[in-house]
Amino acid sequence: MTRGVDLRLAACETCELVVQASDPLVGLCPRCGEPVRSRKHNARTRSWAFLSAAAVLYVPANTLVMMRTEQFPSHREDTILSGIAYLWSEGASSLALLVFTASIVIPLVKIGALGVLLVTTGQHSTWRPHGRTLLYRVLEVAGHWSMLDVFVVALLTAVVQLGRFANVEPGPAVLPFAGVVILTMLASSSFDPRAIWDRGAE
Amino acid sequence: MSDEIFPIPHVQFRKRGRPSAVWIVPVIAIVAAGALAVRTYLQTGPTIHITFNTADGIEGGKSEVRYKNVPVGKVTSVALTPDRQHIVATVQLTSGGGSLATMGTQFWVERPRIGVGGVSGLGTLLSGAFIGVDVGTSTEKVESFVGLEKPPGVTSDQHGTRFKLTTTDAGSLAPQSPVYVQRQSVGSILAIDLGADGKAVNMEIFVSAPYDHLVTQSTVFWNASGLDVTLDASGLRVNTESLATVVAGGIEFGVRPGAPATPPALENQRFHLFPDLRHAMARPDAASLALEMRFDQPIRGTAAGVNVEFEGIHIGEVVDITPDYDETTQTFHFDAHASVFPERLGPAYTKLAAAGARNGLTGPQTLQALVDRGLRAQIKSSNILTGAYYIDLAWFPNAKPAHVIAKEGVWVVPTERGGSEQMQERVASILSKIDRIPFEEIGGDVHDATRAASSLLGHFDSAVVPAMQGVFARADTAMSALHDSLAALRDNIAAPDSAIQQATRATLEQVERAAFSLRTLADYLGHHPESLVRGRASGSEPKGK
Repeated sequence: MTRGVDLRLAACETCELVVQASDPLVGLCPRCGEPVRSRKHNARTRSWAFLSAAAVLYVPANTLVMMRTEQFPSHREDTILSGIAYLWSEGASSLALLVFTASIVIPLVKIGALGVLLVTTGQHSTWRPHGRTLLYRVLEVAGHWSMLDVFVVALLTAVVQLGRFANVEPGPAVLPFAGVVILTMLASSSFDPRAIWDRGAE
Repeated sequence: MSDEIFPIPHVQFRKRGRPSAVWIVPVIAIVAAGALAVRTYLQTGPTIHITFNTADGIEGGKSEVRYKNVPVGKVTSVALTPDRQHIVATVQLTSGGGSLATMGTQFWVERPRIGVGGVSGLGTLLSGAFIGVDVGTSTEKVESFVGLEKPPGVTSDQHGTRFKLTTTDAGSLAPQSPVYVQRQSVGSILAIDLGADGKAVNMEIFVSAPYDHLVTQSTVFWNASGLDVTLDASGLRVNTESLATVVAGGIEFGVRPGAPATPPALENQRFHLFPDLRHAMARPDAASLALEMRFDQPIRGTAAGVNVEFEGIHIGEVVDITPDYDETTQTFHFDAHASVFPERLGPAYTKLAAAGARNGLTGPQTLQALVDRGLRAQIKSSNILTGAYYIDLAWFPNAKPAHVIAKEGVWVVPTERGGSEQMQERVASILSKIDRIPFEEIGGDVHDATRAASSLLGHFDSAVVPAMQGVFARADTAMSALHDSLAALRDNIAAPDSAIQQATRATLEQVERAAFSLRTLADYLGHHPESLVRGRASGSEPKGK
């Protein structure tokens, strides 16, 4: 099958003007002036950069304290995992599963899946391009939901402010966690799924 | 598709060979994560293990460790020791609390405690127990500690001095009992423990600065617990340090009046704890003198511990009494051994001793001089109600001459009969006198007198009563005659024109006029009281009505 690149053609993403493409094409659309690229600019490098940053931040996000709860007379400090364990031990198993999925599984799966995609495209692999494309779609959709923990903490912090009796404060893990989520989203959006097919179609 | 149809984009050439700027993102992430890791590491102090007898109130992951009520760590887990005798609390200290993990640091579980001395740790009722810390002075790092079961009485940040007290009877004293000086609480008892021999009680007390320098070499401590009730000539007096000491006990210290100023006591110096103020303030008994007194009379009421007094001053006590038998006279007698402290006499003793030494007399010879003047020991009753006795060294100028015998360091003082036996003899003589009263004869006399009175009454019945009947009959006749004459008199007076009536009326009129004149005079005198002195002023006629 013939790609646009093979015909040395590319379409402007803004005004749909088809232009001649050099490889790798970097230029401005002669009609609307927007950048025209046959592939996402610097996709692999950026993806790798964001992904590795996310992987680094994943460690403090899970080891540091996510939320400090002052519930008179006791005082709790929870990391993500200990919070899940607490929810589970308190009988809220469905909630624990939800938080576990959103806060532990999804970021981990995102990082792992993006890593797989980047490695396979880097090796010009022809392995199951349809499956990998589907994987990328899932990543893009599901990634939006992994901020759940940050939202929970932000909501509780805003709502539960009863002084000495009940108080919720965000812990130092919130920022790394938000960083993980944002960086994985950036990494997946930087990734160019067309790279899956660049060799796989041949 | 020809190339001419499609426009060529404006190509921008990029400089190559430079790493993409996007790599700044993972670098920032690494730096941020590293910073967080370093911060977390810096905030985490050492992990220590504290052994307690019980984990009551301690919870893993929850209980805090507090120094001066500042959280310095957290109990991460609580486990049994392998021998199951104790529990081990694993504590994660914060970086600031890391310096607490040194040799000598004390840990204890702060729980609500209610004692006679007060209530402490009330806040832990709500917050749950926490582990209190008192930091040691050493800088040597230690990881394992043995926790205290009770909070220490004094923490290292309190300035003061510790002293040791020894006593035989701690009474109601307990750890935390206050230490007073001038009735002000200046410290507390840290610990009380029974000596290994089971006889002496050792205490450790703490006197806080700046009052610790009040404890000098000559300071005396006494037990200020309870009530001191004194009944004497000035009435009933109840003396107590404070209400708290009645319940919780307490120790007071002070200096004997007239004691010379001495340097402050050393840390951990040992003192004797006197049972009460009176004992503490008694002059120190420098040397005791062993006296023996031989009484050839029953010594009922006299036993070991009975006071020996001289001129009313308590100078010693009877140590023991041994009955003895004299074969030559075939009599029983009792030897009272007494321990006497002559220095309690103060200057009297020193002058006597000095005079004796000047005249070259030994101790027994000095005493002999006193005995020659009539000094004798005598058992006396100090309290008739309780039957208490004491041995009095009193003067008997007419006593038979006697000698002081000195044997093996014991001076035998001659005695005089008296005291309990004298009283018993007097009681016996009173009883014998009562015995001699002829109760039977007195009873017979009384019986005769009663009989005479009875015959007199019988004579009265037979002779006097019939005569009286005639007297009554004549009296009746006389009364009726009197009645008739009174009736005639009434008729005479009651008639309207009787002479008595008229005379009475005239008399009443004259009395009325006299009363009127008297009133006029009274009015006049009321207005002119001076007329009593000056006579009636002319022209001022008293105005009648």
